[in-house]
Amino acid sequence: MSRGRGFSIKILDKSDDSISILFKNIPVEIINSIRRISMSEVPTLAIDKVFIFRNDSVLNDQMLAHRLGLIPLKTPVDKYKYGDEEGKPEYVSLSLTIEAKNDFRTVYAKDIKSNDKEVYPLYEDIEIVRLAPGEGLDIEMWAIMGTGREHAKWSPVTVCVVRGVPVIKILKECDSNCKKCVEACPKNILKINNGKLTVTNLYLCTGCKLCEVECPDYIKVDIDEKSSLFMMEIVGQLTIKTILTKSFDILISKIDDFLTKFNEVEIYEDAIPK
Amino acid sequence: MITPVRCFTCGSVIGDKYEKFIKLVEEGMDPKEALDKLGVKRYCCRRMLLTHVEIIDEFLIYRGLKYGKD
Ligand code: SF4
Ligand code: SF4
Ligand SMILES: [Zn+2]
Repeated sequence: MSRGRGFSIKILDKSDDSISILFKNIPVEIINSIRRISMSEVPTLAIDKVFIFRNDSVLNDQMLAHRLGLIPLKTPVDKYKYGDEEGKPEYVSLSLTIEAKNDFRTVYAKDIKSNDKEVYPLYEDIEIVRLAPGEGLDIEMWAIMGTGREHAKWSPVTVCVVRGVPVIKILKECDSNCKKCVEACPKNILKINNGKLTVTNLYLCTGCKLCEVECPDYIKVDIDEKSSLFMMEIVGQLTIKTILTKSFDILISKIDDFLTKFNEVEIYEDAIPK
Repeated sequence: MITPVRCFTCGSVIGDKYEKFIKLVEEGMDPKEALDKLGVKRYCCRRMLLTHVEIIDEFLIYRGLKYGKD
């Protein structure tokens, strides 16, 4: 089959923060580019500059700034620009002013006040620090757009995997009922029903071939290189759909850049070996 | 010192789960079930919660004396 023809996309599983898609007959390099771009080049907002005016807590300033940076912020799509041509990035300012008066007090992510109501900490209950009576914090923060390539706090994706689809071939009807292969499978996806070996959920198979090692006469496990299983889990700054469409946009603009640069290069006929 | 905000390996947020986890375990739930209930799937994130030692409260006792009311 020629590449790129007859492709199909099927969503196998979807929830609020994860998705798994089956791509058929699309070159795996394209899917892998999407994976790499979604992890490291889709811009999101994260706290980057921290101005600490008061910090009485037991954590030192650097630790506190690091913890603040890792808090995921909801990012409105296309509102803030990524990159700073004039040397001044667009930023959202946030503040955290708190004092523990008479009792010990935990500072949570929800105590952070934002200037833009579209930008807010996604996980309210993240513990930032705990204060003893009389201690306080007075912090100003700037959240700016950045990419996962620079620091993982800007990555909208946690785990993103591309792998080939396993093909489990059952060569002969098995009647021994010894169940060695069933016990060998770490994912428990092989079942024996009425003396017949069946695969319950093919997409859980990791292609580890432990079943094949146990019984090479009956089972053969292969990887179908033409299809890819794409699995993504997100943090939440952007939705799954936004991340995927943005990744495709970035990939296409990179190819466009390449073509423009390539057309600028003069290729001398003599330079090409005959 | 205090619960890490993200898992060191995969980067999912776990900083909001430690209090809930400890509460469930103190109520008598098995740590495995508690982690499953909190939706912590991978073993990198599970070890973050299972092996964490919270020592900030021990520091705070002495700070409290220093800054406290009396
Ligand atoms: S396929 Fe092989 S290992 Fe599995 S039950 Fe049959 S004989 Fe046993
Ligand atoms: S290859 Fe591994 S995961 Fe797949 S069925 Fe065989 S033992 Fe199970
Ligand atoms: Zn993890």
